Formats: sequence, structure tokens, C-alpha cells
Amino acid sequence: MTPQLLFLVGLFIVIVALTLTRKQWAPAVTHALPSIWRIAKITVAEARRRRVLQAVVILVVLILLSMTFFSYLSPKEQSRMLISGGLSAITVFGILLSIFVGAFLIPQELESRTVYAILSKPVRRFEFVVGKYVGALIILAVITAVMTAVLIGVLVLQDHLVPDLPESVFDPNIGGVIFASVMSFCAVAVLTAVIVLISTISSTTMTVISAFIIWAVGSLQSTINDLAQNAEVPATKLLLKIIYTVLPKLENFDFRNEVSNYLNFSYMSGWAAMVQGIGYAIVVLILASIFFNDRQV
Amino acid sequence: MIGDEIVLSIEGLTKVYRSLFTPVGVKAVDNLDLSVRRGETYSIVGPNGSGKTTTLKIILGLIFPTAGGATIFGKGISDLSVRERIGFLPEDAYLYEVFNGEELLDFYASLFGFSRQRRKQLIEELLTLVGMQANRKVPFRECSKGMRQRLALAQALVNDPELLILDEPTSGLDPAGRHQMTRLILELKRRGKTILLCSHFLAEVEEVCDRVGIMYRGRLVAEGSLRDLAGEPTEIVITTTGMEGAKVPQVAAHAAVLGVEDGVVRMGHERGDELWSVLESIHRAGAHVLEVTRPRPTLQDVFVRAIREDLPELKESVTEGVE
Repeated sequence: MTPQLLFLVGLFIVIVALTLTRKQWAPAVTHALPSIWRIAKITVAEARRRRVLQAVVILVVLILLSMTFFSYLSPKEQSRMLISGGLSAITVFGILLSIFVGAFLIPQELESRTVYAILSKPVRRFEFVVGKYVGALIILAVITAVMTAVLIGVLVLQDHLVPDLPESVFDPNIGGVIFASVMSFCAVAVLTAVIVLISTISSTTMTVISAFIIWAVGSLQSTINDLAQNAEVPATKLLLKIIYTVLPKLENFDFRNEVSNYLNFSYMSGWAAMVQGIGYAIVVLILASIFFNDRQV
Repeated sequence: MIGDEIVLSIEGLTKVYRSLFTPVGVKAVDNLDLSVRRGETYSIVGPNGSGKTTTLKIILGLIFPTAGGATIFGKGISDLSVRERIGFLPEDAYLYEVFNGEELLDFYASLFGFSRQRRKQLIEELLTLVGMQANRKVPFRECSKGMRQRLALAQALVNDPELLILDEPTSGLDPAGRHQMTRLILELKRRGKTILLCSHFLAEVEEVCDRVGIMYRGRLVAEGSLRDLAGEPTEIVITTTGMEGAKVPQVAAHAAVLGVEDGVVRMGHERGDELWSVLESIHRAGAHVLEVTRPRPTLQDVFVRAIREDLPELKESVTEGVE
């Protein structure tokens, strides 16, 4: 059993034990879960009605479909380019959507003051924050699933259309594509949690700017770590170490290169990154709830 | 029927807004004490910026007081059981724009954990109460101001609240919409709801409220029933016809008459025993009496008087924003 799995199982046991042993926790949990679900549902329903998201999904699907019109040197090369391009599109659009969905999630409720009618009802502030986050995750999961399904459809279609050559065959690598998409969604989930945290203490514009910076830095964490190791000025070393420790390691979720180049990799490393990501997102959401609890709306 | 039980109690409530640019802060609410009894309709009136909405937001736990606090049904607002018993109509009806009335009410009712069956029944009742059955499928963003306000009131009523908090319920409505909303508030009052109302439309307040608190610059400068605040009539007003030319100074010469203007003769209330004598002088002058009244001061008069007494240097401009 990996340390990450131990952490998750331990966390689950602690929550269950506290819920069972502390009488005041039971009603709080039984109230919180349905309440979070209701907020999540209305978040999803509201997003479904907005044309912008639908337009973005259609755009991504068109991009994925248009990739079938390019010609390549060999069937193997063609499948490699389709997988690489498709997964990149899924990752980039997933991140961009997470920034724009996440950054508007809570600030929009505050600016349009729709939060007044909700928080004056029996809804705790942390239920509101977590509900909005869960709603955003559902939206992003559906969009990622649609994009992945289209990419798989394109790959399966090409597999039938492209004639294999003796020295080169078209390899759709469906399992790898699904795995890389799931990991891409994990990165999106972690980044969205960080965006929600920032949005509880700053404006929409600041949240969007911060989110782009965190995405960039989070995707370069191994470089940051190398720089920290080699930095000679103590203050710089400390700063880089703090950045490396505090910001999410989004590159751990990036399996595009391994999948598109048919490299051997351990699924276990993906699993470990996923568990770390869940732990990170939980901590970040707890902080977001604490900040939002003290915020004047 | 107004009971003895205190439903809402505010003690020493103070709110100071501070920022980087105003480190000293702006005092929005200043040591406010107020209580509302069960079944009572209480209105906080005052011009824009007097601290009314800030007070409501503190009561609802949306912002936090600098000092003092409020209790509802003897508990703090952070207690979820309190929020199950109150309803809030925010100013300018801020609800989700993309949903229609039916969907909005279903969502807000679901926050109280009501079953689907119960929600369906509630939606019917509430849409009927606020007169929105025919427009139930109209998205909120396409609703007129009056429809939006009525839907917002319906969402405040989904839990059949004991205490209803209304922030400027008629703000931005046309006369017909204002009349409809006032009728609705009166209906809720008839049903025994305790109502705390914030408004700067004094006519509506006069019509629906049992007690009024006048707020100015964050302070409660006067409080009581309208009758208490207004006091006794100070004048007798005689409306006449044919009062023109030389007739005016003839009537105005009477010792009890305070003034004659546009056919209206005003005399001091304390000299009411001389009414017949004044009426005779009007008759002798050749004018005809249409009506004799003893008007009580309106809430507008009370409001201006209250803040004048509070701040003697006050000029007319302070009544801006009060209609």
C-alpha cells in the first residue's frame, strides 16, 4: 500500500470516526452533503444555460475533428500526432475552462448578489464554497469526457480508414488516451480548487491573473525544484522552495508525452499524483471555506 | 395581533467600514438598539446611506458587526435553526437570471430540504399568492421589475417564515407595482407574519407599519408608532372655493387664522373653539367652505422633524432620497 493510499484511507477513517463519536458532527455531515449537492446542481444547471461554455465545447470538438484532415508520413506517425494534438487540446482547453469557470464561480455570485438569497437560508458558507466547487468539477468532468470521447472516436475512425503498412501501423492507444485524459482532469480539479481559494479573497481579474501564473509555475515545478537546489542566494533558495512546496505540481498529471510516444510508464505514478492531488484539493478547499467564512458579502 | 415575545433584538450594534484609504473608518451604524415583537410590522426608514441595509445585512449574517449584535428568536444568526424561520427579500431582487420562476422557487425550497412533492405544492401556492402563475415559465432576466420583485418575495416565503425581512420591497417599481407589493405585504401581515421592513418610501411605510424607527447617519433618531411620532394635529385646515381678491385679507385678518393660500385657510389647532367664528368670516367674505380637516403630520413631516431635532444645522438637502 502506497503512502498516498494510506493517507486517503486514514483521512476517511478519521472523518467516519469523528462523525460517529461526536454527536454534533453527525447532523452537520448529514446536513452538509445534501446542501452541497443542491448548490452543485444549481451551478451545473446555470452553466448549461450559458451559451459560452457550449460554444467552447463545440470549438474544441471541431478542432479535434479537423485533425483528421491532415496527412502524415506514416500510419504510426499519424496516430502519434493525433494523440499528441488531441491530448494537448484537451489539456489546454481543460485548464482554460477551469480558470474561467473557477474564477467566476464565487465572485460572480458576490457581484450579482445572488449569494444573499442563498446565505440567508439554512446553508453554511463552507457548504456554499464546496458546492460551487463540486458543481464546477461536474461541468469540467463532462466537458473533458466529451472531448475525450470525440478524440477516441477520431482515433477509432482513423484506425479503420488508415491502411497499415508492414513497417508502420496505426496505434490508437485508447487505454493510454483515457488514462492521460483522466490525469488531465485531475490537474484541472486541483487548479480549480486553488482558483476557488484565490477567488474567496480577491476580485475576478486578480483571480484570473493569479490562476494563469499558478498554471505556468505549476507546470514547471521540476524546473523550480532544480533552481532551488542550485540557487546560491539563501533568500532565493528559500523562496523557490516555498513555491515548490506550496503550489500544486501540475506537471505530475501530464502524461501526454508518454502516451503519444508509446513510452513505458508506471500507472502507479499517476495514481500517486491523483491521491496527492485529492489531498491538496481538500486542504485548499478547507482554507477557501475558512477565508469565505470571514468574508463580508 | 402583536404579541409580547421579542422576535428580533438588536443591542449596541455598531458597524465601521475601514479600508486602506479610510483607516479611521466610516461609521455606517452607530450603537443601534431595536427590538421587534411577534406579529409586528416594524419599518426602518431613512435616506440613502443612513445604515438601513447595513443593519439588515448584519442581522442576516452577511456582514459582521464591529460592536454589539443581534439575536433572532433568542439565538444568533449563525444558528441554522434561525435561518429556517426567516425569509429575506433583498433590495433589487438578485436571483439567478437564467432560471424561470418555477425553477427558482424549486431551488430555494430545496435548500430547506423539502421533498419534491412539497416543493411542487409550495410553488403553486406561492405563484398564486404573488400573482405569477401565468408568467411562471418566463426567465427571470426577461421579467419586468414588478415581476422580479414579486418572485423575489415568493422566494423569501418558501419556508413560510415567522420573520420576514424586506429590504426596499417597492424600490424601482411603478405606482401599480408599488400598490401590488403593498397589498402583498398587508396580506402577509394579516397572516400574522412578523415583518421588518427597510424603506425610504414613507407612504408605503405609513400604510403597513405598526412601528417606525427613523435612522439617520447610522443612528436611530426617533422610534415609535406613527401616532406617537406624529403627535396631535397642530392645525385645522379649511378648504374653500371662491376665496380670491379682497376676500383673502378679510379672512386672514381673523386672529385665529395662520394663513390663507390658494383657497386653503389654516388656523391653529389650539384655537379650535374659534372655528365657527372663522367659518362665519369666510361666509361673510363671500367664499364657500368645501371641507374642514385636522390633518395629522405625515411620516414625511415626522421624519424631517426628527432629523432636524437631532441635527439642528440640518438643511433641506437631507431629505433627498426620501419619498
